[in-house]
Amino acid sequence: MKDLEKLYDRVIQRVNINLRELEFEVNPYAQNAIPLGQMVRFYAFFGISPHHPLSFQFKNSNLAGSYFLGNCNVTNSLLYKSDIRGDELKKKGDIFQYQEFEIPVSKDEEINITDSLLIKTLVHNYSHDPETLEEFFIKDTISMNYANIHGSPSDGCFLGPFATADLTTIRDCVIRRFAYVQAGEVSHLDIPAGTVWVRSPGDFNFYYQHPVDKLNEYIYISPTAPPQGLFIDFVEDRKEAFQRVFDVVNIEHSTSVPSSASLDRYAVVKPSTTIGENVLVSQRAYLQNSYLGKGANAQENCYIINSRLEGFNVTAHGAKIIEADLGSNVFVGFNSFLRGCPDGRLTIGKESIIMPHTIIDIKESLTIPPGHIVWGMVRDEKDLANHSISIEKFSSIDSGINMGNMFFEGNGGAFVNAFKDRIHHILEANGAFFNGSERKGHAQKNQYISFNTLQPYPEGRKKGIYPTIVIKP
Amino acid sequence: MNNVVKDSMVPISDYPTVSRDAILMDAVFALENAKNNFEGKEESAHWIVLVMDNENRVVGKLSQLDVLTALETHTDAVKIIDGINKFGFSPRYITTMREELHLKNASFERLYADPGIMASEVTQFMHNITESDSIDENTSLATAAHHMAARKRLSMLVTKDDNVVGVLRMTDVFTVVINRIRDEHNIKV
Repeated sequence: MKDLEKLYDRVIQRVNINLRELEFEVNPYAQNAIPLGQMVRFYAFFGISPHHPLSFQFKNSNLAGSYFLGNCNVTNSLLYKSDIRGDELKKKGDIFQYQEFEIPVSKDEEINITDSLLIKTLVHNYSHDPETLEEFFIKDTISMNYANIHGSPSDGCFLGPFATADLTTIRDCVIRRFAYVQAGEVSHLDIPAGTVWVRSPGDFNFYYQHPVDKLNEYIYISPTAPPQGLFIDFVEDRKEAFQRVFDVVNIEHSTSVPSSASLDRYAVVKPSTTIGENVLVSQRAYLQNSYLGKGANAQENCYIINSRLEGFNVTAHGAKIIEADLGSNVFVGFNSFLRGCPDGRLTIGKESIIMPHTIIDIKESLTIPPGHIVWGMVRDEKDLANHSISIEKFSSIDSGINMGNMFFEGNGGAFVNAFKDRIHHILEANGAFFNGSERKGHAQKNQYISFNTLQPYPEGRKKGIYPTIVIKP
Repeated sequence: MNNVVKDSMVPISDYPTVSRDAILMDAVFALENAKNNFEGKEESAHWIVLVMDNENRVVGKLSQLDVLTALETHTDAVKIIDGINKFGFSPRYITTMREELHLKNASFERLYADPGIMASEVTQFMHNITESDSIDENTSLATAAHHMAARKRLSMLVTKDDNVVGVLRMTDVFTVVINRIRDEHNIKV
């Protein structure tokens, strides 16, 4: 396993060099994050379908338990149980709109991962950087458990557990645990744990800071402690259910799936769950005793338990919904954790926006009225009053507002419209509006994916390293 | 500019000093006394206090700005507002937030008289002296001016055989520069 050890050390050293200005050492976090023995245990797999591009190249890397779709190159990297979804990459001839520029895409876009360590990380969407339209690069980067790298080229960065970089080019940055960044382009920033930052320069700037003492109950990591807390316990408690879907070659879900919907074979579905038309359920999603109405979706690492989603609901990557009733068109952002209880359910009125990385964790029933924006940490009615506002009122903000740890500057209407446009785009891309012949999206296209597996060297110096593999149509 | 640093410096014996065991209160009043001694002659006033160790060596300096910074409130809310500075908010927005917080949480008097802070050791707030804070007494004022500009220093410690013998202030250098310009252009006051 010498080569695997060397590769691990090499990645850590490269990231350290990039982050020296921030005086951030990744060793304590990354050195023992994955026992090397684990990296030999799991197969990698990739999807092929007539609806997706196909171009993979894997070189001097470990890919344990990771999934690949689309155009993707991996070199000198370690990808542990990560999802690399290249099903929204740009195609040659596409026009990319950036400010007043219309930039033609000169060749099919590729995801290029080099000298990086990704642990249980989701990589999805496409490069939003106008300078690198044809390459969604991730290099010299380490991401910890359940991080999301979404449309965000990354160079020399560390993402803590449950951190998200969304539509942002990040260079030489530390994005600490449960922090969310959507800011176009950032460099040399150390973003504190529990930060939620959404910025469109010249239009608006939203910033929220989770109270760190309370956040530590949910997710905590330190140089001397691995990722721990309620979030980790929650997913660990359900790990066994996924073991079965990964061990069995031909799996049949017992749930009825309409012809316009897609249920990934690597998702877990427990009784009694109902899947409506145009629903998308992605790999590593977990559904239990829930109802997903027409056009709803559950993306990677989502958990929907004892809940009802009326329809056209976006449950973004990593979001968890437990004991809750969501009206139609409710958006639940990345890694949000919404938990009611049997005697105190959470009700979210239609067309509400739950901001990314929101925690709603209640012991008594709580109702969010229709058309509200909610952010931060909410544990009761009082918290809700300080962490929510009606979309109508938010739209009327013309200069700024401050509520507790939330700071907003700019035009509220522009902020709301940006979110609404984004939600519409997600529903469109996921096939929520499919009418039987037109407006196909992932829910319809993903029905025809077949999966193949890859294995590393089982013994010797190269144990754990996958051979160089090129896969083309 | 032919003058050398020692011609324009203030001798260290004229400078306010406190020991490194002193508390912030001592430093504040040392500064205040030094200012009062030069009332009406602002160009001669001292704006920093030097912090000395047991062997009478300069180990730090504390400016009026350092004192104001030390006396600011450091509640969690203030820390968050300070923290968002680097996240693209406008100075105007930050000022508004601080003003609102100020009006909500405390009177001006309370903000600037925190007994806990005033009793804290001065070493917590001083700038430690580093090599780039010092300049030899025989260095030309032209080079001294360059160092002050490049290192962004308002004052520098003047050394003779590695011992601090005085302080060269920005105002002293500036006065020499202005006089030189007057001479060059034959301008009479």
